[in-house]
Amino acid sequence: MMQFRLEKRREPSKAMLYGTPIVAVLLTMIVGAILFSLIGFDGVGAVREIFITPFTNTYKWQDLGVKAAPLIIIGVGLSIAYRANVWNIGAEGQYVVGGLAATGVALATYQMTGWWILPLMILAGMAGGALYGAIPALLRTRLGVNEILTSLMLTYVSVQAIYYLVRAPWKDPMGMGFPQTRRFAADALLPNILPGTIVHAGVPIAIIVALVAWFVMSRSVFGYQMRVVGAAPHAARYGGFSENRTIWLAFLVSGALAGLAGALEVSGPFQRMVPGFPTNYGFTAIIVAFLGRLDPLGVIFGGLVIAVTFVGGEIAQTSIGLSNSATGVFQAMMLFFLLAGDLLVRYRIRRVTPQAEARA
Amino acid sequence: MLENIALGMDSKIPSRELEARIRAVMNQYGLLLDPHRTVATLSVGERQRIEIVRALLLEPQLLIMDEPTSVLTPQEVEQLFTVLRKLAAEGCSILYISHKLHEIKALCDTATILRGGKLVDTCDPKQETSRSMAEKMIGTGLKDIVKAEGRTFGPPKLVVSQLSTVKAGHFDVPVDGVSFTVRAGEILGIAGVAGNGQNALLDALSGEIRGDDREAITIDGLGIGMMDTTERRRNGLCAVPEERNGHAAVGEFSLSDNSVLTARDRLGMVVMGLINGGAAKTYTGKVIADFAVKALGPGSMAGSLSGGNLQKYIMGREILQKPSVLVVSQPTWGVDAGAAAAIHQALVDLAAAGSAIVVISQDLDELRALSDTLAVINMGRLSPARPVKDVSVEEIGLLMGGVHGAEAA
Amino acid sequence: MSTDLLIAIIVTVVGASTPILIAALGELVVEKSGVLNLGVEGMMLIGAITAFLVTFFTGNHYLAILVAAAAGVASSLIFGFLTLSLSANQTATGLALTIFGTGFSALAGQGYSARPVTLLGPLFPAELASHPIWRVLFGYSALVYFAFALVIGVWWFLKRSRAGLILRAVGENDLSAHSIGYSVIGVRYMAVMFGGAMAGIAGACFPLLLTPQWAERMTGGRGWIAVALVVFASWKPFRLLAGAYLFGLVMTMELYAKASGGPLSAIPAELWAAMPYLATVVVLVLISIRRDASTNAPACLGKPFLPAN
Repeated sequence: MMQFRLEKRREPSKAMLYGTPIVAVLLTMIVGAILFSLIGFDGVGAVREIFITPFTNTYKWQDLGVKAAPLIIIGVGLSIAYRANVWNIGAEGQYVVGGLAATGVALATYQMTGWWILPLMILAGMAGGALYGAIPALLRTRLGVNEILTSLMLTYVSVQAIYYLVRAPWKDPMGMGFPQTRRFAADALLPNILPGTIVHAGVPIAIIVALVAWFVMSRSVFGYQMRVVGAAPHAARYGGFSENRTIWLAFLVSGALAGLAGALEVSGPFQRMVPGFPTNYGFTAIIVAFLGRLDPLGVIFGGLVIAVTFVGGEIAQTSIGLSNSATGVFQAMMLFFLLAGDLLVRYRIRRVTPQAEARA
Repeated sequence: MLENIALGMDSKIPSRELEARIRAVMNQYGLLLDPHRTVATLSVGERQRIEIVRALLLEPQLLIMDEPTSVLTPQEVEQLFTVLRKLAAEGCSILYISHKLHEIKALCDTATILRGGKLVDTCDPKQETSRSMAEKMIGTGLKDIVKAEGRTFGPPKLVVSQLSTVKAGHFDVPVDGVSFTVRAGEILGIAGVAGNGQNALLDALSGEIRGDDREAITIDGLGIGMMDTTERRRNGLCAVPEERNGHAAVGEFSLSDNSVLTARDRLGMVVMGLINGGAAKTYTGKVIADFAVKALGPGSMAGSLSGGNLQKYIMGREILQKPSVLVVSQPTWGVDAGAAAAIHQALVDLAAAGSAIVVISQDLDELRALSDTLAVINMGRLSPARPVKDVSVEEIGLLMGGVHGAEAA
Repeated sequence: MSTDLLIAIIVTVVGASTPILIAALGELVVEKSGVLNLGVEGMMLIGAITAFLVTFFTGNHYLAILVAAAAGVASSLIFGFLTLSLSANQTATGLALTIFGTGFSALAGQGYSARPVTLLGPLFPAELASHPIWRVLFGYSALVYFAFALVIGVWWFLKRSRAGLILRAVGENDLSAHSIGYSVIGVRYMAVMFGGAMAGIAGACFPLLLTPQWAERMTGGRGWIAVALVVFASWKPFRLLAGAYLFGLVMTMELYAKASGGPLSAIPAELWAAMPYLATVVVLVLISIRRDASTNAPACLGKPFLPAN
């Protein structure tokens, strides 16, 4: 009987490391087409509309940037946290709280004008996200409570907070009973950077965030600390890096970035707080971070790929009537293939015969 | 506990019947334990008893035990011996492997002495003294290292007084009131059997375990007992733990990045929060060259190096920082003879340049060749340090086995 | 409080807690084998849509439950293959499974969201099931009794059976279980599949027991609460029972607070809706203060089995 055996590589394969995300995307397209055809959809059409059309239709390019921006910002934060082995999966909640904090500033300054309002909203959003991320960090470092569960539970709580605020205290007095806040005043709106398009200032901010994060992660002691605590906690302690401090930093940074994305979204595309504000960017950014190999520059690639599927999903919805939930299936498949491919980065697969096995 | 035993049995036995058999064996041999307790709540000695009960249930003809008392208290050892004598009287053969000579004397009918995998002698331990067996065990024909004549030591550099740690887990052996002094230019060797508190001692000295008494550890009179590892390094104390991959070095990182782990402050690799990659690379290159590390270059992954080469790199990384105090554990464990010689030479040279060095090792030959003074750690306690010339191998062997000087004489 | 109200509360609480209990029992067995599957929520959604569709087209509830269990097993095998055969990161793979289940169920349920099905009726005859008093014991559907039986079954399996002993050995010390000669990967596959089947059945509870229709994300994080409950119960089936009922109570409290008209009715609905999640956080905090809880966790939980290294 033929058997397969894993053999650890002496050095992780660079080619596999950067090749697997691309292979994962390609495999998702192929297997997705087959799978969707098997369950009765137009599989080839779905793949074409979701993965190809967003590129060929130049009008959709601006959508790509707008969708990719929050994914990249949140994904960069998560890539830093996951590097340190800190599992913040509540970015969606930190994104929501960031949006709410920015909304709070926008509503409080509704009668005022001034250039400072938008920066203040953004700062409030980052502070809100960081504070919301501080709760799981506090519980983990002080009491050893699993951060995966707490950060996730707090996400559900944050969504209820939106519902409450837009239903009661923050409700638009002129909104004809709709549960939403009033539209922000002009100084509280994120400016467009390309006239005649929907491309807002969040897009260049996302690129800047990724570049700064890449520099910090690869060159600074902070980045070194995140990497060493994640790779070898025992060695990190020997090198003088505290694990608790790292957990705090990871949550504060990833929370602040999720909050930043929330503030930019509410002041940009949404222009007001609505119950539909939680758009799963925080969860999808988990896939973005992995597709980007937990590397801030890779996250730009990951964010763009996922943005393509979002935009393509919307196209497929109107052109071939495919539910936009198909997007989620494609995104999850990408992550599955990527995780499966991870094995090939650190191991090679050897075929062995049972005798060879016995000798070894 | 009942379950643990059941898992090791070959056939399925109803748990009631198994329990009855366990109780019978326990009563017969005086091994008293409640079969329903969770193993994690038992002391190491009690766990050892489970192993013995498990073995006895299988009604063996030959029982092999390897260092069974290394984790037992003296009282537990006495209990174990009673059981073993009873077993032997019932006709079971027992092969008992131990380095503790007084146990062999107390228990065994014949003794075979091995050294370096070779048979040295077979004797009747009742006829021999512990001293005579220790001599056979360690060998007397050891070649002493040639050191510079008339070496003088400077003033006390590292002073440790009443250093203790807290027990951190079931298997942790804490250090208990350890005191010693190392002068400038002096190498202090700490001998001992594995698991007698060496790890806790290294962590307490390196700062991975932070103490609550500032004056428990001083360098040149400066109390560093409450500092963390980074602050201690800044004040001249470097350390090398026993485990290379994952503790002293990060396998997934390049050698250059591994240099940043411990050398970043002493060698100015950090400027305003940013790492100077060039400095790290240059330093790593120097370590590779000076210590003849076989690696492609500073960019090689630490995990891709062989054990000996990684150890040379780690030792080089610390020694080239010119620490005023260096604490190392098992500096040549699993390292080939050539690399070991190079590491030894580097340590001697560092001491000659005026550093105080502590070498924790289980290799007596190494310690005798390297050290100026020698102390023995046993159950977390350290014997008084004595000049290595004045301590006989017999004494070391006895101290390692827990027999203190006064009693042995 | 009248007897009627008390009985009504008990019946609602038992219903609401049943899916959490079933899913948590499955996850408990998975975790006891040393595997952490965070995909419970996703597998539950797949079970829910499968059960809905089968009921919608055949009207056969029991077939629906079986198919939901099979769908749960199938989705758990994705997780099993990635984490056990390919040693992928369990946390990330579990998250991916939840994302997949959410998307897949929404896709499969496209166009069915307003279509009604019938609930699974009570197991016992109407004289008992609709009796004003006895319905507290006999008024439930088979799924509820299945959950009870499962508590006892899982307890017996883990505590009393040899297979359960092997499973726990694999979860506590995979290397020594391997050295005694048990197949660590094989045992874990079985456990993961069992967890998948239970998550599928737990998902089936939503259209068959609680709201007779399909809605996207209708499990609303109950799968995550089930994962948290396993920690809360320190990996003990009977504590899980108590924990699930506690959460059932928290989830249905709103109805009675509103009905009572007292000061509790002033609490906004959103706070009530957030209550189960806040309660989960509070419970996790309380459990961590009691130090023995974490020590009861299987020692190999979440770690890949790599005998070669």
